[in-house]
Amino acid sequence: MLEIIDVSKNFGGLTALHHVNVQLPPQKIYGLIGPNGAGKTTLFNLITGLLPVSGGTIHFQGQALTSLHPHQITRLGIARTFQNIRLFPTMTVLENVLVAQNIHTRSGITSLFQLRAQADKKLREEAEALLQEMGLWPKRKEISSSLAYGEQRRLEIARALALEPTLLLLDEPAAGMNEAETEELLDRIQEIRSMGKTIFLIEHDMSVVMGICDYIIVLNFGKMIAQGTPDEIQANESVIEAYLGREER
Amino acid sequence: MFFQQLINGLMLGSTYSLIAMGYTLVLGVLQMLNIAHGDVFMFGAFLGLTFALLGIPLYWALLLAMLGAGIISILVERFCFRPLRKAHFLGPLLSTIAFGILLQNVGTQIWGSEPSRYPQTTEIAQFQLGPILISSIHIIILATSLFLMVAIDQLVKRTRLGRAMRATSENQTNASLLGVDIFWVFTFTFFASGALAGVAGVLTALVYLQITPFIGIRQGLIGMVAMVIGGLGNLRGAMIGGIMIGVMEVMNDAYLTAGYRDMIVFGLFFVFLIFKPEGLFGATSRES
Amino acid sequence: MSVYLEGVLALMGINILMALSVYAILTTDQLSLGNAGFMAIGAYTSAYLTVKSGVPLLPAILVGAIASSVMGLLVSIPVLRLKGIYLVMATLGFGEIVRTFFMNFEPTGGAYGFRGPSGATLPLIYGWVLVTIFFFWLLTRSRLGRSLDAVRDDPEVASTVGLHVTLLKIGAFGLGAFIAGVAGALYAHYMFYIESNNFNFLVSAMAILFVILGGMETFWGAVVGAIIFSILPEVLRFMKDWRLSLYGAVLVSMMIFRPSGILTRQMIRDLGERFEGIWRGAGSKDA
Repeated sequence: MLEIIDVSKNFGGLTALHHVNVQLPPQKIYGLIGPNGAGKTTLFNLITGLLPVSGGTIHFQGQALTSLHPHQITRLGIARTFQNIRLFPTMTVLENVLVAQNIHTRSGITSLFQLRAQADKKLREEAEALLQEMGLWPKRKEISSSLAYGEQRRLEIARALALEPTLLLLDEPAAGMNEAETEELLDRIQEIRSMGKTIFLIEHDMSVVMGICDYIIVLNFGKMIAQGTPDEIQANESVIEAYLGREER
Repeated sequence: MFFQQLINGLMLGSTYSLIAMGYTLVLGVLQMLNIAHGDVFMFGAFLGLTFALLGIPLYWALLLAMLGAGIISILVERFCFRPLRKAHFLGPLLSTIAFGILLQNVGTQIWGSEPSRYPQTTEIAQFQLGPILISSIHIIILATSLFLMVAIDQLVKRTRLGRAMRATSENQTNASLLGVDIFWVFTFTFFASGALAGVAGVLTALVYLQITPFIGIRQGLIGMVAMVIGGLGNLRGAMIGGIMIGVMEVMNDAYLTAGYRDMIVFGLFFVFLIFKPEGLFGATSRES
Repeated sequence: MSVYLEGVLALMGINILMALSVYAILTTDQLSLGNAGFMAIGAYTSAYLTVKSGVPLLPAILVGAIASSVMGLLVSIPVLRLKGIYLVMATLGFGEIVRTFFMNFEPTGGAYGFRGPSGATLPLIYGWVLVTIFFFWLLTRSRLGRSLDAVRDDPEVASTVGLHVTLLKIGAFGLGAFIAGVAGALYAHYMFYIESNNFNFLVSAMAILFVILGGMETFWGAVVGAIIFSILPEVLRFMKDWRLSLYGAVLVSMMIFRPSGILTRQMIRDLGERFEGIWRGAGSKDA
């Protein structure tokens, strides 16, 4: 479903990614791990079109992504969250989710006249369902920037889900969460997978990664050094070398 | 004829250079576009007028106007820049728009909106250099401008203060950590910028002999164009840009119709911004 | 109604439109310093049509505004590639190019100005003002309005939620240009005479000041700012000429102490909710 073919990325003299090759079949949970600065978020930025590739291509369901704009890639069915949580700060919780639904309906000038009452109603019900799921419905009218950290993370995921993606990219979704919240997050990710979606997540928390991922890709200094099941990765020499003692949780 | 126009162009252009350098200093060191700069220029011109009317000789009037304009520029720094510098970059910009209008209105209050005539305070001697007629006004303007251009250039390149300015323009936090008093740098940069504008004001008044509180709008804009053509943040670029525009203006008036002059200048402005934003000599400002 | 008062109200209406034209572009976090240029295009185009081609007033206004809007869309394409200060300066440059163009354009009088356009009455002006306000009111409550908010908050993230950011920015520019074009057309047909200096940088700057004063966060701010600016000179007559200096001083202080302006988004939200509560009676359907 997602094919990353010989992808490289340079920033001036700095090589962030070096000939990365990965094939991800659908409906699994994938983990992307590696020490800080390994190029994980950069890879996400390339997939979602926020940065252009310096070499290679990326295909999604047979379609080449590398020449598309971010909004076009989103419309193909890829949604993401950000490492440092990027909500729309002046908009309310509900509005953050509603704006993500704009791709499902006509949102141009004609939307001023609110002609599509039925479609609108359905979308609102879906938005409500999403927010209820995330436990954010009571706070729907609050400004998103006033939410607690964990709530903001959940909102970001809700917003991504509102896009009805086939592939969901989560960048460090468990960062800053306590045990209970992490548990909930894991349950939610399982649920999302059972809806037929594919998930690709970046994480530093090894218990999350090993616990939930079907398949793991390991990056170090921009190169892919290993890929395999959690058991395979845990036994892999080069991974242990790159990681040992550094990122244990 | 051509060389006569050239000299006139150099003279006019050098006043533009001074204005452009003022913009460039503030943009380069503080990453800010000071839209009130043109109105500081206007105040300089009027201060010079006031002192001249009091019978003060030209050179002293020039110096006092320079100081006065520098001080007004410091006010811009205090009210429009310092309280807003951490906010969205539009903040200081919008504030300087308001401050500029404030200066125009205060100027109108003090000196009236009708044109004021510049008094004759020095004897104008004229020299014939081959086919060219040079008056002492030409010489005063060219000499003063050149002196200031070189002075500021050397100040930025060779003095400790200049190094402090350059360090601040690179990175304010780092400069501060290295012991630079960045607030003093801010103040001085605005002062120098205003001083240049003030001198330009008096010199321009010597050329046109009539000033109104609204001359700052046009002259300020031309200075901005010169800055862009030379390259944002590039001091020497601003100097050359100003002279180029001055010469071009005079040539346009001499050989084409005067009406199109401003259109060509602003057209160039627009074209440069779209196609060659780094200017002719390269932008050194880290402003994006 | 005295001619004098009528004049004040007419100009107030035009000021409101100019402020809204600045606001329209500001919805996507762009600042245009050249809206006087769009105003000029609307003014001269419509004036030429009514005076020289005998076109009726309303169609002429529309054509003028459309011409202005098309120019806005065309100009925005190269200009929107620029960032920050470059974008602001480019809009400034554009405004000046338009002004100097009309200063030389013989068919509309060149430096002598254009005499003759007439027919704009107070009801007509305020008709347009109300239509424009209604439009913005609809926009605020629509999906499109939400898209614009997202683009303003974080254009990069907006693109990742599927919004075509560039198209929205261009559209905002076109909208602002259209409104300024209407303002210009109405101005021309009220004043009977226009010249290029009526559309200089100060006009663009004043429109921006209206928005700063009233509040940049909602379109009501632009309306309120323009109203205050237009009425205050009359109320403060006793201050004579210092009142203009007062504006500048007040605005500089505003930027320091209350940069969001008089009306904030929260205020409008709260007012809106209270209003809606009254409107819907006891039924608790949420917004």
